[in-house]
Amino acid sequence: MVVLLQIRERITRFYTSYDNYCNAAGRFILALITFLLINHYLGYSAILTNAALVLIIALACSFLPMNFLLVAAAAVTLLHIYALSLESVIVVGVAYLLMMFLYFRFSPKDSMLVILTPICFVLKVPYAIPVAAGLIGTPTSVISTGCGVAVYYILSYISKNQVPEAVTAPVTEDGAASMINKFRFIIDDLFGNKEIPVFVAAFAITILAVYLIRRLSIDRSWLIAIFAGTLLDILVLLGGDLTFKLYLSVPGMILGHVVAIAVAVVIMFFRFNVDYTRTERVQFEDDEYYYYVKAVPKNTVKPEERRVKKIKGETKKDAAEYHMRRSVTEKKEIVTDRAARRTAPTDRDIRLEEARERRRAADRLERDVAAKARENRERRGNQ
Amino acid sequence: MTRLAAYESSEGKKNMSIGTYFRGDYISGQIMKSIIYGTVAFALVFVLYLLYDAEKLMESIYEIDLMGFGKELLIRYLVFIGIYSVITYIVYAVRHRRARRKLRIYYNNLRRLDSMYRKEGKG
Repeated sequence: MVVLLQIRERITRFYTSYDNYCNAAGRFILALITFLLINHYLGYSAILTNAALVLIIALACSFLPMNFLLVAAAAVTLLHIYALSLESVIVVGVAYLLMMFLYFRFSPKDSMLVILTPICFVLKVPYAIPVAAGLIGTPTSVISTGCGVAVYYILSYISKNQVPEAVTAPVTEDGAASMINKFRFIIDDLFGNKEIPVFVAAFAITILAVYLIRRLSIDRSWLIAIFAGTLLDILVLLGGDLTFKLYLSVPGMILGHVVAIAVAVVIMFFRFNVDYTRTERVQFEDDEYYYYVKAVPKNTVKPEERRVKKIKGETKKDAAEYHMRRSVTEKKEIVTDRAARRTAPTDRDIRLEEARERRRAADRLERDVAAKARENRERRGNQ
Repeated sequence: MTRLAAYESSEGKKNMSIGTYFRGDYISGQIMKSIIYGTVAFALVFVLYLLYDAEKLMESIYEIDLMGFGKELLIRYLVFIGIYSVITYIVYAVRHRRARRKLRIYYNNLRRLDSMYRKEGKG
């Protein structure tokens, strides 16, 4: 466990030192995966499948906000679908707009979830998303996850391998009637797909359950939330499967939920690693409130510092070289150099001084609060 | 102090803008926005419905009771906007309460820091 904690500490330190680069690299990889998957499954437009273009868009996404990736991915999918048929692009465009209104109104910062949900569906581990969203996010994550589910099912309907012939069929002589029939066909297929509401409902219930349970002040609330959420997800999905006859693969669902639990435990290890054996219960008061506080200490460990020991072997000095080194001028230089090093503060010194200053400020604050409390008590005693 | 600065530069900025409004003003402003978004969304769905049922509508355009159709449409619109507004009210009331609470803690800490500085100045 200590080794794991040390690794966590190292990862955290590395991330905090290079967070700008890490975020940019993460966004780039996510954008690249997103566009490669879009091109693989849709790929109707030859220009958009160009590797150089994909790289350029992914690079642009790496230093722009996450919502740009969302808009870029939506635009690329619409362009692909436009190459397939005009009717499809209108229906998908309207669906996108509706989702955008919901998403940008309530959870505009959850773009990661909207992107990750379809990707996890493709990787066959969609069940990890609601549990993770419940652990890290807020109740409004329900909207972003729901949008992600809808996007996946819409795109998988239009995807290369599954698109019905009726959608790609050329418009016949009776143009208008043929177009309307296509519309009806696409809307019937898309909005008649019962898997979308079942998955949206299951994920929404799971997110809310995980969120509510993990915020309770009971011991091991996160672990209970993970297992309760996963169980609830399975139950709702099975209920939906039986009601609407979706024929979902039960072994696949259970395996997916096992993966979801593993992912959630990793998240818990990084976000909520506490030691319940050292829990403290404190009561105190100020002028306005009584406080009943339960303090659970976090598990932290200092990573091992690598110490580099310099071993200097004794070398036989050549007499001539020895005398040369001892020459007066060089000695002077060495002395001045050492003196300069002694007086000029290094970065480490500055950091240490800053840490000391912070410590002093914290001590002063603590003393201040204690004095104030004492003063209040005395005042109350006098009254 | 570091925590105060971190709050100020990240979450604080948003919360401060929320904190400048009275609760009622903030929520009603958000509901107004939602009504506009909701109206556009409803219009889009209506257009999709027209396209879907275009054939049937064209055939029976003269037989349709337009008043009845309009009334039904209006009721559906009002129900949709009502639900959308209630959700907006709940979400933004919670957000406003949270922002206020966090701002209060922030200002308390700021006051404490200020008194610390004053004491140091005197000393």
